[in-house]
Amino acid sequence: MSETRDVIIVGGGHNGLVAAFYLAKAGFKPLVLERRAHVGGAAITEEFHPGFRCSTLAHNAGPLRADIVRDMQLEKHGLKFTTPDVNTVSLTPDGRALILYSDTKKAAQEIAQWSQKDAASYSDFGAALGKIGKVIGEALLLTPPNIDSPDRGDLWGMLKTGRSIRRLGKKDMYRVLRWGPMAAADLVAEFFDTEPLRATIAARGIFGTFLGPWSAGSALVLMLRAAGDPSPAGSVQFPAGGAGAITQAMAAAAKQVGAEIRTGAEIAEIRVKDGVATGVVLASGEEIAARAVVSNADPKRTLMRLVDPAHLTPDFVQKIKNYRCTGTVAKINLALSALPEFTALNAKGNGNLLRGRIQISPEIDYLERAFDESKYGNFSRSPYIEITIPSLSDPSLAPAGEHVMSVYMQYAPYKLKDGNWDSQREMLGEAVVKTISQYAPNFPQTILSGQIITPKDLEETYGLTGGHIFHGELALDQFFTMRPLLDWARYQTPVERLYLCGNGTHPGTGLTGGSGANAAREIAKTLRK
Amino acid sequence: MSASGIIGTFLGVRSPGTAYVLLHHYMGEIDGAFRAWGFARGGTGAISNAIADAAREAGAEIRTQAPIAKILIKNGRASGVVLANGDEIYADVVSSSVDPRLTYTRMIEPGNLPDDFLEGVNRYKFRGSSGKVNMALDGLPNFKCMPGAGAHLRGAMSISPSVEYMEKAYDEAKYGHWSSHPYIDMVIPTLTDTSLAPPGKHILSCFVQYAPYKLAPGLDWDTEKEKFGDNVVNTIAEYAPNIKDIILHRQVVTPLDLEREWGLSEGNIFQGELSLEQLFFLRPVAGWAQFRSPIKNLYMCGSATHPGGGIMGAPGRLAALEILKDGGA
Ligand SMILES: Cc1cc2nc3c(=O)[nH]c(=O)nc-3n(C[C@H](O)[C@H](O)[C@H](O)COP(=O)(O)OP(=O)(O)OC[C@H]3O[C@@H](n4cnc5c(N)ncnc54)[C@H](O)[C@@H]3O)c2cc1C
Ligand SMILES: Cc1cc2nc3c(=O)[nH]c(=O)nc-3n(C[C@H](O)[C@H](O)[C@H](O)COP(=O)(O)OP(=O)(O)OC[C@H]3O[C@@H](n4cnc5c(N)ncnc54)[C@H](O)[C@@H]3O)c2cc1C
Repeated sequence: MSETRDVIIVGGGHNGLVAAFYLAKAGFKPLVLERRAHVGGAAITEEFHPGFRCSTLAHNAGPLRADIVRDMQLEKHGLKFTTPDVNTVSLTPDGRALILYSDTKKAAQEIAQWSQKDAASYSDFGAALGKIGKVIGEALLLTPPNIDSPDRGDLWGMLKTGRSIRRLGKKDMYRVLRWGPMAAADLVAEFFDTEPLRATIAARGIFGTFLGPWSAGSALVLMLRAAGDPSPAGSVQFPAGGAGAITQAMAAAAKQVGAEIRTGAEIAEIRVKDGVATGVVLASGEEIAARAVVSNADPKRTLMRLVDPAHLTPDFVQKIKNYRCTGTVAKINLALSALPEFTALNAKGNGNLLRGRIQISPEIDYLERAFDESKYGNFSRSPYIEITIPSLSDPSLAPAGEHVMSVYMQYAPYKLKDGNWDSQREMLGEAVVKTISQYAPNFPQTILSGQIITPKDLEETYGLTGGHIFHGELALDQFFTMRPLLDWARYQTPVERLYLCGNGTHPGTGLTGGSGANAAREIAKTLRK
Repeated sequence: MSASGIIGTFLGVRSPGTAYVLLHHYMGEIDGAFRAWGFARGGTGAISNAIADAAREAGAEIRTQAPIAKILIKNGRASGVVLANGDEIYADVVSSSVDPRLTYTRMIEPGNLPDDFLEGVNRYKFRGSSGKVNMALDGLPNFKCMPGAGAHLRGAMSISPSVEYMEKAYDEAKYGHWSSHPYIDMVIPTLTDTSLAPPGKHILSCFVQYAPYKLAPGLDWDTEKEKFGDNVVNTIAEYAPNIKDIILHRQVVTPLDLEREWGLSEGNIFQGELSLEQLFFLRPVAGWAQFRSPIKNLYMCGSATHPGGGIMGAPGRLAALEILKDGGA
């Protein structure tokens, strides 16, 4: 056995890399061990067909927290974002398209073609989301307080957030409290009449979750995502080189301040002695001792598979078992010989309008019906779809004149009622292609090749337990002081010197870096004691 | 057991938040038996009559057949009521046990309430989702799963065979159709109180979910009413085949009937959905959950206030305490 390392980080997803950076900055010597051949976790760019590269999983950032981008100097390390003029094109079955521009004024003009009232509400809604999002954003920076015996830092944090909430004024304060448990469908109906607008915004509240727009609590998800991004339908930002460029820049930043990164290093076990983590055992059999272990893997994987449950109380094991972590998202990446021609956009000049996000979310009930199927263990035959064509902003992703299309599809439940994902994979792909071709008839003829990633693949290939893209459902009962579990929301686990830093910890709102940065702060504090 | 979580609420069993409705139903205690929705002799009407007697004994006066048309407001204070027949009655305190829509938009002249408060009232969700079918029976139903007239008939019987069954029942309602395979909660009160029907005859009271107040375009409750009733009978017949032979009379109550005849807006049995965003300090309107209203001396004391609907009397008691705290006037 080699020498004792300082801090081992299990997994080189973006949160693991962010944590490594901040821990190294704080004077520790982190060693990141990633099981795959390259770092990045769910934020990666890979070649899936000769000459075609694409963000394999996430194709849009959370967005990243601005302070993290700054601290890590990600731009200096090669990260460059482009924000397209068109934010979202939302297609409807009657051949129309609702176009939301990134610029609020321009968006309102476009919405006015559907409804004058909605055009006016659009900026009100954006303003309300902005104000509320700012306050929620402050809470996302906090380590969730210790409920039983809050320390001074906790009290200070709560006081500050409490004050910001009060500063919102009565109207917005009640909004925060009232909106959280609401259904996204009810929330958008308070502002808008136009169905595709309602549904396109409400879709933010169901993204990545096992919720329909009529499910209570979907408005919370919408608000959480708005915390970093108050643009009503959610902004789009494309890194040149795809999502992998984000994590490549993060890895470079972490290394520069002294972190070490090893890929192809799968951890088989986290060693625990007398309730204290002492190091890891790799799949190769190699053992590495460490003063502390930080896991970027999801809470279930970490605490039910990497740690022998014998080291945990039965009560804790029961709770972590009940942590809801089954996914509903599938991902399809396609190599295209030409751009698809969307009927609704033909008259308006297709190309430029396709640079943002293209959504199939024509009405609330469409989304709800898509959800209904998943409740009974079927994937949606008419799914909610979010498309991007990143090769429009970054032509290097595909051979000249050709394109890559990245498609999120929901709902694809991890547990199928009939058959398994291996037998249903092709059918899922067909359903998606069929759905899109209803809006772009030439679409099937442009497909050269495709990669279909089911929830099972998310689990087996990319290490997301249950195929959950957020390492666990984002919901009122798994949020803030309850993420992943009540009493264990402060990045510490019941095993001493074993910490969590992935998306299954607060804030856990996707590709933002928030969990990794918060965890590093907390871990540095406890390790120094 | 999960059936309790959906009663009277426009939520499916998997919808988050149903745990509150469930808890809510278990909150009541009857004769010390936890989770007993006990039967009152003489039906639930007897509970109301007993409460009325107690109130009278304590000095309250009760007048029936006295519909209120308007609440009088003078200088921003409630000063009494006008009955439908035009009679005016002056009072120091007016306390409304009807829902906020009726109270604030029907009984109060426009212009007396702040805009954002009215916005909250208009936003308050009712969306009734249940109906009732009451039957007069010439005997007792004979359930296939438990034949004969055993003790099981005395309690609440429910048709809620699986979580999936209930979820599917809900799915239909979401798109404006009454459930083709509904959740049915049945009681035969005549087994505990023989005075409710002639000897040998029985009453079967069925609470049925889902029956959405707002039906899909092209459908209306007046034409759907008896079809809905037939479907309930057919559903019960799958479990108790003799039911059709023993029905003497049937009364179908749709959510629209609940609104028209019982004054329950949109037929919601709890005077408004028991969903988290309209509970606790948010019921009925954020900032106005303390039983008070923007109008001085006007209070709320019905199920549209905390802690919500059900025959438990809590909103009335809590409201009375607040009114007394304010000095009674
Ligand atoms: C299809 C898809 C679409 C998405 N879309 C968006 C979006 O639009 N916006 C957004 O904000 N978020 C999106 N997300 C979510 C977001 O990408 C993730 O929440 C985020 O990237 C998670 O980062 P992480 O670092 O916490 O975990 P991960 O990225 O999951 O990283 C964990 C790492 O640990 C490694 N690991 C696991 N087990 C071991 C082991 N035993 N030994 C060694 N290493 C191990 C894994 O290989 C992985 O690299 C999407 C995710 C998916 C899958
Ligand atoms: C079909 C059905 C089944 C139910 N099942 C159960 C159950 O099993 N268990 C349970 O606990 N709860 C049940 N409930 C709910 C429960 O009955 C109600 O929540 C509760 O009775 C409401 O009491 P309340 O005093 O707040 O309001 P209400 O009972 O609605 O009282 C309001 C009163 O105001 C009167 N009123 C209305 N407008 C005027 C006016 N303009 N002037 C004068 N008077 C007016 C009405 O006539 C009514 O008498 C059920 C309800 C229904 C409809």
